[in-house]
Amino acid sequence: MNVLDIRGLTKKFGDFVAVDNISFKVGEGEIFGFLGANGAGKSTTINMICSLLQPSGGEIRILDRDIKTQSRFAKQSLGIVPQDLAIYEDMTAYENVSFFAGLYGLRGGQLKERTEEALAFVGLGDKAKSFPKTFSGGMKRRLNIACAIAHKPKLIIMDEPTVGIDPQSRNYILASVRKLNESGCTIIYTSHYMEEVEEICSRIAIVDHGKIIAEGTKEQLTATVTDVKDIVIELKTATGGEAERLTGLPGVRKASQEENVIRIHSDASVDNLNRILKRLMEGDSEIRAVEEREPNLEMVFLTLTGRNLRD
Amino acid sequence: MITWLITVKEIKQHFRDFRTFIFLLGFPIVLMLILGITLTNAFSSEMQLNDIKVLVRDSSSAGLSEAFKAFEKELGATGIAFEQLKPGEDGRKAIEDNRYTAYVEVSDAGMSQYGSSRSAIESNIVQGMLSTFADKYNAAAAVTRDGDPSKAELVFANAGSGDYVKELSIAADRSPGSMDYYAMAMTVMVGLWGAMSVGGLIRSEIVRGTGIRLLSAPIRRGEIYVGKVLGNVVANTLCILAIVFFSKWVFNAYWGAHLPVVFAVLVSEVIMATSFGIAANELVKGGGGRALVMLVVQLTSFIGGAYFPVDDSGVMGLVSWLSPIRWGNEALTNIVYGCNLAAAWPAIGLYLGAALLLLLATASMRRNKEGF
Ligand SMILES: Nc1ncnc2c1ncn2[C@@H]1O[C@H](COP(=O)(O)OP(=O)(O)OP(=O)(O)O)[C@@H](O)[C@H]1O
Ligand SMILES: [Mg+2]
Repeated sequence: MNVLDIRGLTKKFGDFVAVDNISFKVGEGEIFGFLGANGAGKSTTINMICSLLQPSGGEIRILDRDIKTQSRFAKQSLGIVPQDLAIYEDMTAYENVSFFAGLYGLRGGQLKERTEEALAFVGLGDKAKSFPKTFSGGMKRRLNIACAIAHKPKLIIMDEPTVGIDPQSRNYILASVRKLNESGCTIIYTSHYMEEVEEICSRIAIVDHGKIIAEGTKEQLTATVTDVKDIVIELKTATGGEAERLTGLPGVRKASQEENVIRIHSDASVDNLNRILKRLMEGDSEIRAVEEREPNLEMVFLTLTGRNLRD
Repeated sequence: MITWLITVKEIKQHFRDFRTFIFLLGFPIVLMLILGITLTNAFSSEMQLNDIKVLVRDSSSAGLSEAFKAFEKELGATGIAFEQLKPGEDGRKAIEDNRYTAYVEVSDAGMSQYGSSRSAIESNIVQGMLSTFADKYNAAAAVTRDGDPSKAELVFANAGSGDYVKELSIAADRSPGSMDYYAMAMTVMVGLWGAMSVGGLIRSEIVRGTGIRLLSAPIRRGEIYVGKVLGNVVANTLCILAIVFFSKWVFNAYWGAHLPVVFAVLVSEVIMATSFGIAANELVKGGGGRALVMLVVQLTSFIGGAYFPVDDSGVMGLVSWLSPIRWGNEALTNIVYGCNLAAAWPAIGLYLGAALLLLLATASMRRNKEGF
């Protein structure tokens, strides 16, 4: 049975098509990755799945039931971790989780038990009585997750649950997502960090400009990029503008730079590493490390769109 | 049940923020104290009762007529002027023209009084005295029927002016002092603050980011809306209760003998204020709603007599009726000082009517609208 089945989903804001006729299915027990750049239409899609926005066209089925005709059932089966924090700063962690779980019909002893369980699950068991305003960014993100899981939904949708937090909290959250999945939850995981998606997702859809441009397992997706390679060069010091000097070299499709790290997207068939290094050294750049990357999702994205995921 | 969850959450959040709490209770109480004390003098001259002039048309037969004459004479001593209706004069018109406080028709069938709405307290006083007179006359008549006319004399002989004046004193001794006035005016003003503490039906939740959770939960929109309204009404009513009892016990402000009726008026005011806050926040996007609420609350407080009593005669007197504060002040004054419980109805009617209109307008605007 498909936990989620989306067919021909479209959302228009006036003339602007934010989600353009997309279809995909998510099976039971999957962690489905939804990867796309800023403004690709990820949140818009999710908001339609949660009945916050009405689709301009298409159909959404949760556990084989149409969410339009059986919206209560659909909502009851869903847990949502919104992109923007959705917690009350003036209520304690416990009160937050308990209030939202209450909306899903939990009462009394069960409500208490599930609330405590959810807080412990995200590692906030000892912060139950604290107010979120005293929390770090990572702790707030974790509370944001706890509020979505206390009612034990079949399908959890996480919209960029790791934006703007420290690596430690991020690892904690990724581990939690896996644990939730092992306990039987199906998960849709939205992100524009391809490392995260590669790490935890069993299947991935890449969205761009409201369309799904590729879909499959990580292996299936990366197998499509046989004709390109990524070269990453780390410089000792950078003055900026080094990457620009590489454009135009044979085989170089795109060269981008983040501080002293240059990434070159290049035709796999052209043997151009020597020329690239020479061009850099001519400009008095000292090279610290050179690495040729295995095909990854970033490369898939770049090949398909000509842009970096985080451009 | 869901509604109740949301109501409780709203009340909790309302009182959670200590600074808001202090502002909600502290500000009106301090203002009451400052205005009540500093304006004592300016006040007592302003709020004195107007002269009471009663117009009488007496078409009754001898017994009643004589008794009534005696009654007029007794009260004349207390400064109340009685005048007889001149032939051809229209008594009710005279009242409408505000030339008299009350117009009384005395006939064998009974007495009827037409009071001037513009001097409600005074005409209530007249009404009180008339009913005392009627009681005494009926008592006397009953005695007379028993066959001993001399006893009837006795009944009236005992009815010195003091008897009537005692009735009168329920009101007259209690013309509001400055503290009494401001206790009432501030309370009515705080009732209107209910508009400021409500952030729309769902808008404030969307701004906070939590709207997405409420709207994606398996609950009806109506449950959220009703919970929000109820929460705000209950929380603000609690504040008002606190202020009323604080002013009553600490400042000795006079709240009369009909507190439940007083609260009924105040609660209906809070309901209206809440509806207004909701409408403003839902219909005016962005921060505009809050600004509008602030502006309207301040303006209506000002013209409605929250900070200083309105002078009834001028343009400001007329304008003051545009303010819901005035409706409340008027009703409460009549209830507290005139013991006129019926005065609650127009205010409650106006408040609830306005609330209904505002909520209907908002609901129809929100209908079929998406979450955002
Ligand atoms: N209510 C709206 N009205 C008009 N345009 C909108 C609305 N909501 C979203 N959009 C537009 O639709 C597009 C998709 O937005 P969406 O939030 O779905 O992107 P996203 O993939 O979630 O991006 P991000 O990674 O930044 O969260 C954007 O161009 C956005 O500006
Ligand atoms: Mg988004």
